[in-house]
Amino acid sequence: MKDVLVMNETRQSGQFVVPGQKLGIIEEFIPNSGTFVENGVIRSKNVGYMLMDFANKKVSVYPAARNLNVPRVGSIIVGNTTGVQSSLAIIRIKKVGSKIISGYFTGVIHISDVSFRYTDSMFESFKLGDLVRAKVISDKNHTYHLSTKGEKLGVVLAYCSQCGNVLSLKGRGLRCEACGNVERRKIASDYGEGTL
Amino acid sequence: MPKKTKLVNSKGIRTDGRKIDELRPVKLEVGILSNADGSAYIEQGKNKILAAVYGPGEVHPRHLALPDRALLRCRYHMAPFSVQERKSPAPSRREVELSKVIREALQPAIFLERFPRTSIELFIEVLQADGGTRCAGVTVASLALADAGIPMRDLVVACAAGKADGHIVVDLNDIEDKEGEADVPVAYMPNFDAVSLLQMDGILTIEEFEQAISLALDGCRKIYALQKEALKAKYQAIKEEVEGAEEE
Repeated sequence: MKDVLVMNETRQSGQFVVPGQKLGIIEEFIPNSGTFVENGVIRSKNVGYMLMDFANKKVSVYPAARNLNVPRVGSIIVGNTTGVQSSLAIIRIKKVGSKIISGYFTGVIHISDVSFRYTDSMFESFKLGDLVRAKVISDKNHTYHLSTKGEKLGVVLAYCSQCGNVLSLKGRGLRCEACGNVERRKIASDYGEGTL
Repeated sequence: MPKKTKLVNSKGIRTDGRKIDELRPVKLEVGILSNADGSAYIEQGKNKILAAVYGPGEVHPRHLALPDRALLRCRYHMAPFSVQERKSPAPSRREVELSKVIREALQPAIFLERFPRTSIELFIEVLQADGGTRCAGVTVASLALADAGIPMRDLVVACAAGKADGHIVVDLNDIEDKEGEADVPVAYMPNFDAVSLLQMDGILTIEEFEQAISLALDGCRKIYALQKEALKAKYQAIKEEVEGAEEE
């Protein structure tokens, strides 16, 4: 290729770049997020704005298009319960980290991953429609395996299984204001606060 | 095949008034569909093609998921009203083949290994066809992918060249494609100088073939400039809107 060396005058921070566009060479910069290196040339892999950090000798691309988020091992997700079985709960993942995703992924929580303590019954930990915060612990076997072990993980919003109203916190359990029904869940520490 | 029309006249002007090395007018627009994750639209001469992208998302059926990379699914489809005589909306043999060919032309440009066990779905909808839809399809599809924020090595551009009435011409239209002697569609990654799709229909000598390739690549480079402009146009408009709102 003829023009491996990028001309300095046409390059500046904040410049609009498209995928494949040259940002520099590895001798000048450390490639940072939004970039990739091929044959010693640093290129953008996103549509976005180039940021040149001369103090740290780094170049990155701030994405202008949608920021993608896919569940990975370790990420905190929020989703709805779509099914509960004696040893499994099925979660439809709607939010990964701080981003609501388009579409959804499916994850499962095994009864052994519900809490640090012994779990009596899956049916008393999650119910259909509950909003659950969980952590991805594995992505093997074509599913995301989730865990709600930990104080901040578990049900963040639940509905009454009798009348469908939102349950509110009552001691260590949940109570329906409308019909007085009392239920149990694996509750997250910030239940009902609306902080996802 | 009996010749009905003169494709290139004595002055070297083609049926639609173009010179032999002239592209049809290309209009590109990015992000015109609000429900898809990424979208783009192209008008190349009389061609009108929409592309939309969803993903990365869950793979259905599950067993198709790949453990080390994303599954790229592509559907090239022609609307029943895209051609003179109503086309059956069911995918034809040709559409199935073009879907595969377009998928394989785009695949090397996408960082599929970044999203294992997911699928990226691409829909190319031909609203009006006038020859060279696979090339225009590749061109819009790569814009739709970029608009969806999917990390890519490069944009992919495609352009065809071929032979009509003994002349090597670029960007064939429908008549030239059907009545001409040969058609060579080329998809190209401009920053890597790499060809990701090369087909040939018809007969060319080696010299003619080389000439056709170089014409097609020149065409690709011209369309690439337009692709960059189209992306810039969308995001520049958004940036200005945001900055304008901040000032108020």
